[in-house]
Amino acid sequence: MGLDSVRAMTILATEGLTKRFPRVTALDRLTVTAGQGVTGLVGANGAGKSTLIKLLLGLLEPTEGTATVLGLSPATQAMDIRRAVGYMPEHDCLPPDVSATEFTVHMAQMSGLPRTAARERAADTLRHVGLYEERYRPIGGYSTGMRQRVKLAQALVHDPSLVFLDEPTNGLDPQGRDDMLALIRRIGTEFGISVVVTSHLLGELERVCDHVIVIDGGRLLRSSSIGEFTQATQSVTVEVEEGQEPLAERLRAAGRQVAVHGRLLTVDVGSPETYDAVRDAVVDLNLCLVRLEQGRHRIEDVFREEVSSV
Amino acid sequence: MSDPTVQQPGPGALREAGGLAAPTGVIHDIGYRHYDGQRLGRGHALSALTLNSLRGVFGLGRTARAKIMPFLLAGVMMLPAVVSIAVMAMIGQRAVPYGAYAVTMQAVLAVFLAAQSPYLVAPDLRFRVLPLYLSRPVTSVDYVIAKLSSMAMALFLLIAVPLTVLYVGELLVDLPGPPMTAEYLAAMATAVIYAVLLASVGVALASFTPRRGLGVASVIAFYLLTSAVSAVLVGVLLSSSRDGAAAWAWLLSPFFLVDSLQVWLFGTSPNNEGGYPPDLGGPVSAVIVLAIIGVCVTALVLRYRKAASS
Repeated sequence: MGLDSVRAMTILATEGLTKRFPRVTALDRLTVTAGQGVTGLVGANGAGKSTLIKLLLGLLEPTEGTATVLGLSPATQAMDIRRAVGYMPEHDCLPPDVSATEFTVHMAQMSGLPRTAARERAADTLRHVGLYEERYRPIGGYSTGMRQRVKLAQALVHDPSLVFLDEPTNGLDPQGRDDMLALIRRIGTEFGISVVVTSHLLGELERVCDHVIVIDGGRLLRSSSIGEFTQATQSVTVEVEEGQEPLAERLRAAGRQVAVHGRLLTVDVGSPETYDAVRDAVVDLNLCLVRLEQGRHRIEDVFREEVSSV
Repeated sequence: MSDPTVQQPGPGALREAGGLAAPTGVIHDIGYRHYDGQRLGRGHALSALTLNSLRGVFGLGRTARAKIMPFLLAGVMMLPAVVSIAVMAMIGQRAVPYGAYAVTMQAVLAVFLAAQSPYLVAPDLRFRVLPLYLSRPVTSVDYVIAKLSSMAMALFLLIAVPLTVLYVGELLVDLPGPPMTAEYLAAMATAVIYAVLLASVGVALASFTPRRGLGVASVIAFYLLTSAVSAVLVGVLLSSSRDGAAAWAWLLSPFFLVDSLQVWLFGTSPNNEGGYPPDLGGPVSAVIVLAIIGVCVTALVLRYRKAASS
């Protein structure tokens, strides 16, 4: 993929980062690094994702440990970090009585852009996130999808080197989710802005991330490239109307690894010939093939295994 | 997924092509452009926020409804100046002394403060815009400074514009005797004190609730309470002929407090019944004014420091 060389540059790193609140430990000796590209930060609600972002922005002080963002320390260089970083919070953060344009221009100025540059950048950025004529109307009348786009625009308007997107797909319908994920992918590739995106849905991040960091209860579960996540579990899911057992037996006889999950067969893909073998077996047994697809929820399986083993 | 580095003309490009490049029939997607222009420092962000807030206080850049109250009150503030000029022109006498302008119009100033200070701080808390500011190169102290100075500027304008109109009117009417330049300048200096004191109290009280209505109520309650207590005490003390104590009781009202300071600083005549405490009255007023400003600013700084880390 050629990504290894690109990822060689570290955009953020933490070393034993710990944050204890009076009643809860939000982060527990977290040591991770992330390179350029799109990094997914996965964890259940309350796993410590938002706390990590706030620590990296210098909005919270760590109890222990250190961190660097773009080679800068949040403890002493928070201002420089915030100049170079964009942040899209998880929660609503838009005033209802101003238009998206006015709001984005204002936020660009707050990031240090002169007024005219702020106007140009706001118009460009709103177009890139997919807001057109409606950007002149007050935000109060926007749909959730449009609000998420404005939130994203304000994080990108000052052309940061890195953006933190906290649950950007929250509250979106399936179409909106797909659009947002495609946009995130574009930000990471075409725009050349590194992205740290959090989600509690692993399946989503599979589609856009180069690297995934899984945290749970403030601790690191796993940090690896998306390739490693899926490589170990290359498989194909086969759904037939009936006759799963004969099909499984036939494939096993042909030397394939097969697992039966109810109506579904999961076949490990050793080589491209596996697909041919499945097709031939289905034809020979005269079965009704409903679905043949690459294993999609594999990251979740990995996550589940690791959680249960912790 | 298709290779996202290939630039595909998005809907934005099509729209643009429809408007601009339609005659040639060529669709241009200039793609994402990085910003390599100027990035200004904290001072720029601070002044941008101050200016934006100041505009907002007068309803500029907001809905038509938001403009009614501030402009109505600003209009009412102008009335005595206009009437006074008319009186000067017709019967050649001064109607409203410069030093009495703010105290006379105290109810209008109080209503303006109560109506507009919550606008400055409450929406940012209620709609959670604050995290967007604090994730930019601005500190919570910068935020407090910007909000306080915009309110102080608004109040100063509210007092200073009528005073200046009055002064210009006096010069144009050309009354017998020298113009009252010293009185005008003293009143302008006192306007600064009024502005800073009232802004500190108003913004500090309003910042403790994200609800605008509650903010309005708390500021107006502060004004009514201090004025009422002061008036009742003065009345009771005067009726029991303890004039000395009554003179001190005036200082409980923020407007008469500043008036007492004005008397001490610029030797103007007192605008209450019976005057202020001699000797110690002036310095004590100064200390009280500074103490109130100090307490309010400290409360604001602490309040926003807490908000920044939550």
